Amino acid sequence: MSGGLKIKLTLLDNIIWLMLSLFFFACALGIPAFASWNNIVNILYHTTIMSMLVLAQGFVLLSGNLDLSIDAVLAFAPGAVILASTKWFPGVLGNPYLAILLTLLVGGCIGFFNGYCVARLGMNAFMQTLSLSIILRGMVLFLIPLSIFPLDPVYSFIGKARFPALGNLPAAIPVAFAVYFFFHILLKHTVFGRNYLATGGNARASFVAGIDTRKMVIAGFIIAGLLSAVAGMLTAGRQDSVSNTMGNGMTLLAFAGALLGGTSMSGGKGSAFGMLGGAILLGMFSNALNLLGVKVTLIHAAQGALIFVAILVDRFRIALRAKLLRDEQLRKLKGAKG
Amino acid sequence: MDEPVLLLEGVTKVYPGTVALESVHFEALPGEVHGLIGKNGAGKSTLVGILSGLVEPTSGSITMNGRTFSSFSRSRAKREGISIVPQEPEIVLDLSVAENLFLGELENSSGFVSWSRIRADARRILDRFGLDIGIDLQARDLSLSERQILLILKACVVEDANIVVLDEASASLSRNDAAILKRIVNELRESGKAVLYISHHIDELLEICDRLTVLRDGRVVATRKKGTLDHHSLAELIVGETLSSSESGRKRSANFGEELLRLENLTQWGSFRNISFSLKKGEILGIAGLRGSGRTELLKAISGIEPGYAGQINFKDKRVFFSTPSEALRMGIAYLPEDRETEGLIKSFSIRENLLLNSIARFSRSGFVLGGDAARRAEEIFAGVQIQAFSMEQSAEELSGGNKQKVVIGRIMANEPEVYLLDEPTRGVDIGAKRSILSIVDGPLRASAGVLLTSPGLDDLMDICDRILVLHKGDMVREYRREDFDEKSLFMDMQGLGFQNRRGGDECRAV
Repeated sequence: MSGGLKIKLTLLDNIIWLMLSLFFFACALGIPAFASWNNIVNILYHTTIMSMLVLAQGFVLLSGNLDLSIDAVLAFAPGAVILASTKWFPGVLGNPYLAILLTLLVGGCIGFFNGYCVARLGMNAFMQTLSLSIILRGMVLFLIPLSIFPLDPVYSFIGKARFPALGNLPAAIPVAFAVYFFFHILLKHTVFGRNYLATGGNARASFVAGIDTRKMVIAGFIIAGLLSAVAGMLTAGRQDSVSNTMGNGMTLLAFAGALLGGTSMSGGKGSAFGMLGGAILLGMFSNALNLLGVKVTLIHAAQGALIFVAILVDRFRIALRAKLLRDEQLRKLKGAKG
Repeated sequence: MDEPVLLLEGVTKVYPGTVALESVHFEALPGEVHGLIGKNGAGKSTLVGILSGLVEPTSGSITMNGRTFSSFSRSRAKREGISIVPQEPEIVLDLSVAENLFLGELENSSGFVSWSRIRADARRILDRFGLDIGIDLQARDLSLSERQILLILKACVVEDANIVVLDEASASLSRNDAAILKRIVNELRESGKAVLYISHHIDELLEICDRLTVLRDGRVVATRKKGTLDHHSLAELIVGETLSSSESGRKRSANFGEELLRLENLTQWGSFRNISFSLKKGEILGIAGLRGSGRTELLKAISGIEPGYAGQINFKDKRVFFSTPSEALRMGIAYLPEDRETEGLIKSFSIRENLLLNSIARFSRSGFVLGGDAARRAEEIFAGVQIQAFSMEQSAEELSGGNKQKVVIGRIMANEPEVYLLDEPTRGVDIGAKRSILSIVDGPLRASAGVLLTSPGLDDLMDICDRILVLHKGDMVREYRREDFDEKSLFMDMQGLGFQNRRGGDECRAV
């Protein structure tokens, strides 16, 4: 394979970062104060919550499933734990570190329940997670009719704290990057990660090849639950309270982020860094529109248009990739003859 | 004599690397049941493909209804009055029996479906052939045989075509439904339609057909009237000049190692019965049989993909039972899937990732993949099985059939198993790839393990196997040692015909 082709293929496979850079420079030229340190930190800070959901959704998509309950878990996991630790059993559950662990545990258990229903009981992932999403949303409305605040500073640390020594950098940003780095290693460099991707690419073939595909699917949902719980703690921390509107409507945008990042809807294809790019592009897009003074309602519509563009770019990318490889093959054939 | 309703003249089809059909002349007369037979790869399916408009001939002409075409499209074939019952029942599982029967021909008055008429017509047709199937049942609830007979009825009765092509239509029929098929075919004959009847079973063809055309290596060898043929002369035409065993037989020194696998009276209901054999290290054991003989099911049962059998499997003198493929793999028994597209490859993965799919745990420490070791091993296998690709990073779905197969073989080799279960490794690959796959099996695989091999064609098995077991409808008919290999005799055994002659009595005949 020629060097030029390799570079082109690499660019195509990372097209999200190309789009992101182009968009950034365009905005930096067109919008004053867009490229300032404060605004960049602002974009990243506002992206952290969505980025966790994008990773959660993207991770489940990699195994060939989907999870509609992630934004409900975002609200339910911290909501139920804070309610229990402040109102029901303040003595036993008052410890904020315990509350953090419990929040993760609740998210993980919900994920396990989803995974068990899908992988073991053979339920359709769409319907199962939809039903659970409605159940959890209803429970949140029932349990937390009014916001509960303030939170223990330990609990709200990852969502709220800032480091004055680092230009007022919010703790949420390094936390999000660390999580993404962890998942990059997990997917790329561990046996689990490879088997997980193989399951999404072709479950039957993976089963025949000796991979426990049901375990993989369950693991995917557990991870999605955990990440949604982390997103929940980031949200609760930022507003220093738990409320029943947290995360409303974010699930579908999480699909958009994962798709923008090059994750395949049919499973087996995608990367953690791609999803990160997708999440940041979503955040940067709404930030730019905000700075331009576009109304909030219109921003929502514009995000829909962005999703459409993402699908279009993806089709274009696949066609171009096939064409590049075909051309290379033709060149090789001609070379062999001449 | 009547004018032929279908006439093929000089039809040739060339695929890259192989000639599937070579100036084929073929005609079908009205009121005739015309049988078509040949070994796998003789060109039957290409011919059917051309008639149904799915394959475009390279040259030649098709004459129907007084008009001459150079090729058919799918809709053209249907408009000219050709109906086809494909090998695999293609039925809409969620629709009712009646609706499936009339799919594409829904009676309508100004765009509305007349359900009362459809249901009445469906009932009438089913009753006419004595079929006890509820017309409102979902197709999902029918047995395989009932689904097939439904498709046959659709093609033969509902579509009212002039020419009906039955492509191994009887393969999945129950005995009762097979009798119904005969009645349908007779009715078509009487009403002056032409039937093209394709089957692997000599018996059936000699009984049903008025004329028979034999294909061999893409050419028409003979077209004969019914009365002029018997089992033996037909088998000879199909097999052709065979190499006697002394010509093909590089005699192998029987230097086999320890016994690896021993099956004792393995039985799986509906698939195979009382299969016993043993396999030694360094040995290649072929399993020959037609579709439905139980060869694939046998390999899947051993490898734990379709567990559930009576009898026992011994691996190195220890009784084993695998309920999943991963258990079998851990013991060192690897299965190569018959269908590489759905059971073999991860299409979204690169060649390297596919090659390391099973063995990646070997190149890891506490869960982390050791990049260098894994890459070296992938490199080794990549070169060993001679995959033609620009680089190992190419995605597996961009490869040709033969190279995809090599990737899957390389993948199971990476695990260094002691027993290979190879289910049709040469299916649907071109001649060049076939040779190199067989030489991999005969070389590195044989050197390191014992191999069970099935193949769609006998020549592959005769080429490299040390022994061949013949299965017929789930029974082990005979075992051949290499010095006794004889294509005609093997072929007759696969048909379930050789058994009878050898034992000289009808009571011994395999059912």
